[in-house]
Amino acid sequence: MTELLFSTKTLPGPDDITREEFSNGSVLLTRPNMSSPAVAIKGYLPPGSAAEKPEKYGLANFMSSMLTAGTWRHAFRELHDEIESMGASLSIGAGGLATSFSANCLREDLPRLLALIREVFSEPSFPIRQVRRIKTQLLTFLAIQAQDTAAMADQAFDRAIYGSHPYAIPELGFPHTLQRISREDLEDFQQRYLGPKGMVVAICGGVLPAEALAAFSQTLGVWVNAYQQPQPELPPVQALHGIIREHVTLEEKSQTDLVLGTFAPKTTGPDYLPAQLGNEILGQFGMMGRIGESVREKAGLAYYAQSELGSGIGPTTWQVIAGVNPRNLDKAVALIREELARFTSEPVSEEELADVRSALIGQLPLSMESNAGVAGALLNLERYQHGLNYYRELPARISSVTREDILRTAQTYWQLENLVIASAGVALS
Amino acid sequence: MNEQLITYTLENGLTLLIREIHTAPIVSCWVWYGIGSRNEVPGKTGLSHWVEHMQFKGTAQHSASWMDHTIARLGGHWNAFTSPDWTTYFETLPSSALETALALEADRMRGSLFDPAEVETERTVILSEREGLENNPLFLLNEAVQLRAFREHPYRNEVIGAKADLLALTREDLYGHYQNTYQPSNALLCLAGDVDPEQALALTRQYFGDIPSQPVEKHIPAPEEELPSPERVELRGPGDTTFVEIVWRAPKANSDDFFAFTILESLLTGPSSLNMFGGGGISNRTSRLYLALVEKELSVSVNGNLNASIDPGTFIINLTKHPHNSISKLLAALDKEIDKIQTKPVPQAQIDRAVKQAKALFAYSSDNITNHGFWMGYASSFADYSWFTRYVERLATVTPEQVCSTARKYLRPDARVIGVYTPNGEESGGD
Repeated sequence: MTELLFSTKTLPGPDDITREEFSNGSVLLTRPNMSSPAVAIKGYLPPGSAAEKPEKYGLANFMSSMLTAGTWRHAFRELHDEIESMGASLSIGAGGLATSFSANCLREDLPRLLALIREVFSEPSFPIRQVRRIKTQLLTFLAIQAQDTAAMADQAFDRAIYGSHPYAIPELGFPHTLQRISREDLEDFQQRYLGPKGMVVAICGGVLPAEALAAFSQTLGVWVNAYQQPQPELPPVQALHGIIREHVTLEEKSQTDLVLGTFAPKTTGPDYLPAQLGNEILGQFGMMGRIGESVREKAGLAYYAQSELGSGIGPTTWQVIAGVNPRNLDKAVALIREELARFTSEPVSEEELADVRSALIGQLPLSMESNAGVAGALLNLERYQHGLNYYRELPARISSVTREDILRTAQTYWQLENLVIASAGVALS
Repeated sequence: MNEQLITYTLENGLTLLIREIHTAPIVSCWVWYGIGSRNEVPGKTGLSHWVEHMQFKGTAQHSASWMDHTIARLGGHWNAFTSPDWTTYFETLPSSALETALALEADRMRGSLFDPAEVETERTVILSEREGLENNPLFLLNEAVQLRAFREHPYRNEVIGAKADLLALTREDLYGHYQNTYQPSNALLCLAGDVDPEQALALTRQYFGDIPSQPVEKHIPAPEEELPSPERVELRGPGDTTFVEIVWRAPKANSDDFFAFTILESLLTGPSSLNMFGGGGISNRTSRLYLALVEKELSVSVNGNLNASIDPGTFIINLTKHPHNSISKLLAALDKEIDKIQTKPVPQAQIDRAVKQAKALFAYSSDNITNHGFWMGYASSFADYSWFTRYVERLATVTPEQVCSTARKYLRPDARVIGVYTPNGEESGGD
């Protein structure tokens, strides 16, 4: 096994994580760090944008923005006055399958902040003035995003790869669908789907497990939504056939952004770890791996050029992304394809494998040095049903991945005749 | 804050700061150079930032990939930043690997190659970096506004440099700048984390002790205490959104006014943090300008930015105009709020709240070792470490009258630059 520069005992494990299931269907994970005066709270709960109807795309995200716009007990200003006066923070957003939230507070304010989080989830009042105001904010954000070459390339990629699957739709929706969403739609969506069944919360930092459990069990642990319905099941994705080329033309842009990719292995499946190591070699390790070496370091074509492996419960993608001068776009695509051809035709070297094993293992303590980092790691334990000993066993599992595992995974998922290539920038010449 | 600091200065002038934190087996190693775009002269903008890029391209002893792979193999991360006032390099990695970081930084303090072919490759990389920035209207607006916020002081230039300069700079310009300014006497080494100070000092002596120091020649600009003149800058471009940027002169970081201004900023546009590496922020939804501009649907967003700088810098407010309102109404409402804070006493409770928020922001990020390394060097670039350790304490001494008088002194309507980015095809300023 790769030599460890730290003890795996310093990583979260069964002896320092407390996990509790509540009768309302929620789960709490907590791990103390008594040297910290602060507490990080992270969580997720249904619903996500996959529960939206086509004419109301953007509803989940709009609803999540409205949760902090006022409750039946606190108007917008009173609510934020409470949160900001504590020096606390609370942000809520929607993804494909879940609404996620993240909060910070000083140790002594944890019970109060958890009570406010429960209040915004269970008693949002959707004030009509705030609905109008936040709708304008979201529409403005969409207008800004429509000029962002990276965001437009990403959306074109999602449209092409996911086709009729809900993940083809941007989570913020479209201007015409946002315009259609009413106060009643928001309230109905919240009552129908937002609830504690399926909610997972992690609390980490300067709080003892007993204190965290007590604060949670008096707030989010007793929240009930009698009307909560399960989200619709996600349909399967369709396999890619052939090369799909998409370009979004945006005038007066100096740089073109490029996304090239395919589907990723299931995050919970056996191919994921070999794909993770392979992805490090392909476009992460050091200065953006082989892709960075070829496109940035040798050819000087891009400030950034790297690969990214998605993770999640639903389908995800494995991409190479780059930002290039428009006249270098074809050259960059050709270099990336060359690297992909090499990645799928010959095993990675022993040295490369040793490098990325060591890197992924070595990153573990750094990724969990902060309370927020640990809270995110605990959520993933539950999300992917890894078990509480996962992080302590991970170094051994990483060490067991072979060059052949990586090549087999690369060949299974990167089929170079079946790809999506999406870009956004000035018109193609 | 109780922040024990150990300080040494080697014979060659290199200063070493050590802050022991033993909560995790991690160390963050930072080398700060007293050089940035503030020291650049016309025609040579972007020099410091380009040199920073070249520091990742290899030395006589080690190839670029060796440096990169060595850090990555350890599970560490490294990066560098160039600001107007400084250039800094850091590695955060397992504490058992401290020697690797020190060896690497000592090596590239004097031994970088600046291979001519690599210089040319990096020219296109930096042009590509600039092109990515130019895609964003806010970058273009900020660049135009800053040029009018200073007569000659280099704070008027973007750190990345002007495109014409990036096309014209030579390998000799870059290497000369490097040889001149990357000297132990112009550097500060900061170590934060799980370190043994005696061992760290011994290793520092071993790797840096023999590096000779030459006198550093650098352009020191004359501070500009006042904005040249009130101005309005109009920009046009693609899109559907009107952006507004307003810039006033701000006090230098190492002044009493700066702390009063920090409270003023917190009240107007919300608390901002000194955290470079996460920790989370606090929203600004009860700040005066959010309530007056966003809640009243004159603006869609409001953000403030007070830069801590060696010389008097800028305080910037960014607004995204509400699509159904006008610039003139937006600016009138802004002026009304500024007038209020200049003339009506600020309740002490609001100052107390701003101080609690500043304290909380530090608490959220104090578990991140990399932040500690950053804070040590950052504060030392314009003052000393006590600027950081006494930051919250000094905020707490700010009085309501100081907030009003600071607003009167700096936020004058005759001493600001207003920039407006209007989408093509719309009437100027959206009025």
